[in-house]
Amino acid sequence: MIEAEVKKKLGSFFLDASISDEHFICLTGKNGSGKTTLLNLIGGILTPDAGHITLNSKKITNLPIEQRQVSIITPDSCIPHLNVDRHLVWGAKNKGLSIEQDYITEIKTSLGISFNGKVRKLSLGMRERVALATSLISKPELILVDEALSNIDNHSDFVDAFRNLAAKAKIDAIFTTQYPEDSSQADHHYRLESGKTTRLF
Amino acid sequence: MNWLKLISAFSLALLVVPVFLLIYEGFGPLSQPIGYSYEVFRAIELTVLSSAISAAISVAVFTPLAYYLARNKNSLGETLSAIPASIPHPIIGVAILVIVSPLTPFGKFLLSIGINFFDTYLGLITALTIVSAPIYINSMQLFFQSMNLAHENYALGLGASKFRTFISVALPNSGRGMLSASLISMSRAMSEFGSISIVAYYVLQQPFYGVSPAPVLIFQYYTYYGLGPAVTASAVMILVSIAMMVLLRIVKR
Repeated sequence: MIEAEVKKKLGSFFLDASISDEHFICLTGKNGSGKTTLLNLIGGILTPDAGHITLNSKKITNLPIEQRQVSIITPDSCIPHLNVDRHLVWGAKNKGLSIEQDYITEIKTSLGISFNGKVRKLSLGMRERVALATSLISKPELILVDEALSNIDNHSDFVDAFRNLAAKAKIDAIFTTQYPEDSSQADHHYRLESGKTTRLF
Repeated sequence: MNWLKLISAFSLALLVVPVFLLIYEGFGPLSQPIGYSYEVFRAIELTVLSSAISAAISVAVFTPLAYYLARNKNSLGETLSAIPASIPHPIIGVAILVIVSPLTPFGKFLLSIGINFFDTYLGLITALTIVSAPIYINSMQLFFQSMNLAHENYALGLGASKFRTFISVALPNSGRGMLSASLISMSRAMSEFGSISIVAYYVLQQPFYGVSPAPVLIFQYYTYYGLGPAVTASAVMILVSIAMMVLLRIVKR
């Protein structure tokens, strides 16, 4: 369950947003509406000027990124020099989690990761699959996906698979997209316009 | 008429004409056999070797500082790290000698355990490191600032500490930046005169016993023998420096 009520001024842009939901949340809005800013505030990359962020009843407003249990994924997110198999378990190893090989295989199969090699040499869509799978395997409490689902083939099937895996692992997720139709696969839908959120369902 | 190109060419000429003139005179009309002597090549060898070691020390010791300054706004840290580059370098030499001065209790202690900077490799390399490290730090700071932060934010979100992120994410993707910054730092060290003329006018340790660093030797030649030998030795040294710059351009490609 993520609860955020945040205010942030960046130059002439002012964000005044609130989210209070769980499971698979879709955040839509045009370019410059504040989607990335809101995710950066929840993920800890930015600090709000005012407000609070609570994740599963724990206040995380002022926690550093690495202590939030929130994984942030953008189209550039990856550890470029690792190969795919090492990449997948990198986050879990950081947290000292022991992960069953069967679980890794299940995630690889579900997310269509049938390739290997250095992550920096993969296509954008492949890199995004690996980044999302790595996040799932590291078992955070929340995954923030900033436009990192739109470059993947079989987009709709992939989102379904990702959603099911996140639900099974009891991980909430917020994903941003410019396409309102993507919200049909979400449990909740928020729209951002000029820095203001509206809950649609 | 492309005036910008013309003005740029003129300003570039202001910088390089004296250097090329020196190469021409050094190997041509003013050439003196002493400028190619064994002593000159030993001095260049000492300069290149000690500068390379000082660059390696900068990489090992100052890379974390450069990364820290790149990721955290810290005006005090930036100012302090730039001090050695912004004060007259003979002062650095004097400061290094004060550390091991027998007139101070700390200096006495260091001397008693065999640490001496005066006319030693330790003194020479310490001086070169102090004067060239700010260049390395600045170059690496700019390099780290140019890196894609998404990789590091992703790693932090996966639970990696800031130090782990530095070691496991930033460093493995910084090889080229470190090589380039260390070559710039090494070039700066090779051109140092002010501090080493005080700390290590020559080195009194094997295998370079009695050898002066090249900039100091060129100064000696100028004061003892006049312009000709100094110009010839300078021309040889410039060729080494140009080779370094060519290497740097290749690395930066």
